[in-house]
Amino acid sequence: MRRTRILLADDHQLMRSGVRLMLEREPDLTVVGEAADGREAVALAKSLKPEVVVMDIGMPNLNGIEAALQMTQESPELAIVMVSMHSDESYVLRALKAGARGYLLKDSAEADLIKAVHAVAGGKSFFSPAVSKLLLDDYVRKLKRSGTEDAYDLLTPREREILQLIAEGKSNKDIANLLNLSVYTVESHRSNLMEKLNLRGLPELILYAVRRGIIA
Amino acid sequence: MDQSPLRAPVEHGKKLRWLLLGTFGGMLLLMSVAGIDALRSLRRLHQVSHEVAKRYSAHNQALQTVLVCFHVYDQGMEQYLLADVFVASGPQRVMIASRGSEVLTAIHDYPRDSGNEEQSLVTQIDQAVQAEESAFDNTQAWSSGERKRRAYLFVEEKILPTRTHVMALASAISRLNDQRLAAENDAVATEFLGLQTRLSRLVVTTLLAGLVLSLAAGYYILRLEQNGRRRFLALERSRQELESLSQRLVEVQEAERLSISRELHDEVGQTLGALLVDLGQLSNLVPAGDTLVKDQIARIKTAGESAVRSIRDMALLLRPPMLDDLGLVPALEWQARETSRRSDMEVDVHADEMPANLPDQVKTGIYRLVQEALQNAATHAHAKTAKVSVQYNPQRVEVEISDDGIGFQPDRTRGMGILGMEERVRQLGGSFDLQSGPGKGTTVHAVLPLSTAKDAI
Repeated sequence: MRRTRILLADDHQLMRSGVRLMLEREPDLTVVGEAADGREAVALAKSLKPEVVVMDIGMPNLNGIEAALQMTQESPELAIVMVSMHSDESYVLRALKAGARGYLLKDSAEADLIKAVHAVAGGKSFFSPAVSKLLLDDYVRKLKRSGTEDAYDLLTPREREILQLIAEGKSNKDIANLLNLSVYTVESHRSNLMEKLNLRGLPELILYAVRRGIIA
Repeated sequence: MDQSPLRAPVEHGKKLRWLLLGTFGGMLLLMSVAGIDALRSLRRLHQVSHEVAKRYSAHNQALQTVLVCFHVYDQGMEQYLLADVFVASGPQRVMIASRGSEVLTAIHDYPRDSGNEEQSLVTQIDQAVQAEESAFDNTQAWSSGERKRRAYLFVEEKILPTRTHVMALASAISRLNDQRLAAENDAVATEFLGLQTRLSRLVVTTLLAGLVLSLAAGYYILRLEQNGRRRFLALERSRQELESLSQRLVEVQEAERLSISRELHDEVGQTLGALLVDLGQLSNLVPAGDTLVKDQIARIKTAGESAVRSIRDMALLLRPPMLDDLGLVPALEWQARETSRRSDMEVDVHADEMPANLPDQVKTGIYRLVQEALQNAATHAHAKTAKVSVQYNPQRVEVEISDDGIGFQPDRTRGMGILGMEERVRQLGGSFDLQSGPGKGTTVHAVLPLSTAKDAI
């Protein structure tokens, strides 16, 4: 059986060995390398060619976000799961902008790690439930206090459908095939909904989707 | 600084001041006394010399009168006696007698305010004239023959010697007068010389006193100046010390917060995290039926998770890692959200993108400024919304935090928090401005220069 190759990056030996134990218990996963800081992680990603990187944000020399940025510039298809202590939007958005597809909180890593690795290896996004909840709470609170309308209500059903598919990691072509539409039509729906929601770029779209509870 | 060297010169200066005042006053007194004295002396001298001249001319004139009267009398007598046409005991003789008494009156009128020598000379003239008069009286009895015979003889033996005698006496008196005038003039000159000496002495004294005074004043001023400079330098030094101390305090505080935060976050937090992962694995190893152990493990996990959360919160509060991990703007956005979550106030952030090489001091300074201002807005001002704006250009960063809270009077209340913000901005070489008023909300505005902040590193 072909096993998914994983690179671990964390400056704490204890954490790495714990995570490794957990991952290696799964029959379809294998840990091919461990890095103790950002630079080492970038170097190993280049030499070992893993499919998934599980990386801590807070690392010496080069932090996880910078390391992820360098890795995805080198190989855009690399699936990165960011592990962090911080559930705040600042981190999530920057991790997404750096090319990460999964965002996992450390205190729930044990429960969600396997799910997260499987999701990103399959081209999907994954966020710890606590992160999704926090993002949603912030969003709802802000709407309530400022009294503004939720722009989501302005979307057509088709746009909502496409929004979810984009957020799940599907390409325009996949979506066109799935919905029996032309790529051009999907493209136009996509730019319309981005404009309605005032979003710039895929990371913000994913964040929005997580916030609205469209994806987990 | 110990205070004694600062206090001693004050005492000393007091004494010196009195001394200067005394010297100055004394000098003025001396000058005025001497001036009055000189004026008086001059007036007296003038008077004396005037009197001397007056007396001299009075004596001279009196003597002249005597001589003129005598001359007229004498000549009259001579002519009468030698006249060819004899008129016996006519009015001529009476006229001569009246002239004689005129001479005596003139002699009598001669001033009596002179010395004995002169008086005796005058008396001698008087006697000579009287003798001549009586001799002339005797000629009255002469017959015309007798008269023709004796007239020449009388003139030769009586009138001419008397005339010579009187002339000699008069010139002696005149000489005496001249001598006295000279003596009196000498006395005036001596007195004038004395005055001159006194005046020149006074001028020298005054000059000396002035010299001493100006030296003392110069010394005093120099001392004052020195003291002033010393005090200014001491003040300046202590101000600089205070400034560097407070800067050092801020730096130490930041460094301490950072190290505690890192320690909590990286060491304690990570270890607890690893422990939780292990606990999870342990739970998986327990047979499915053993609920007792599974429950126990679940309880331990819950306690561990709560510990991780509080440690994370503490670490974040001390020094948010996003400030170092992500930069200023994400940290400010996090701060805004965190404040929104914990209070009833909604915070909006509008921030320009910052360069990654923004000096750490500026980054931390702005972050703390915003933190403090938002804290004040949420807890003291009970604001509903707050706006944070950060504008960047290569020369400076401009930060503004405004809220719609109850406001306050900035000139009356100025808490430690505001002082702290002001101090931080000042240390970064920036300007700080706070505007508020009851019911008007509060706006904190700060401009931080970037060039000087870079130089300071």
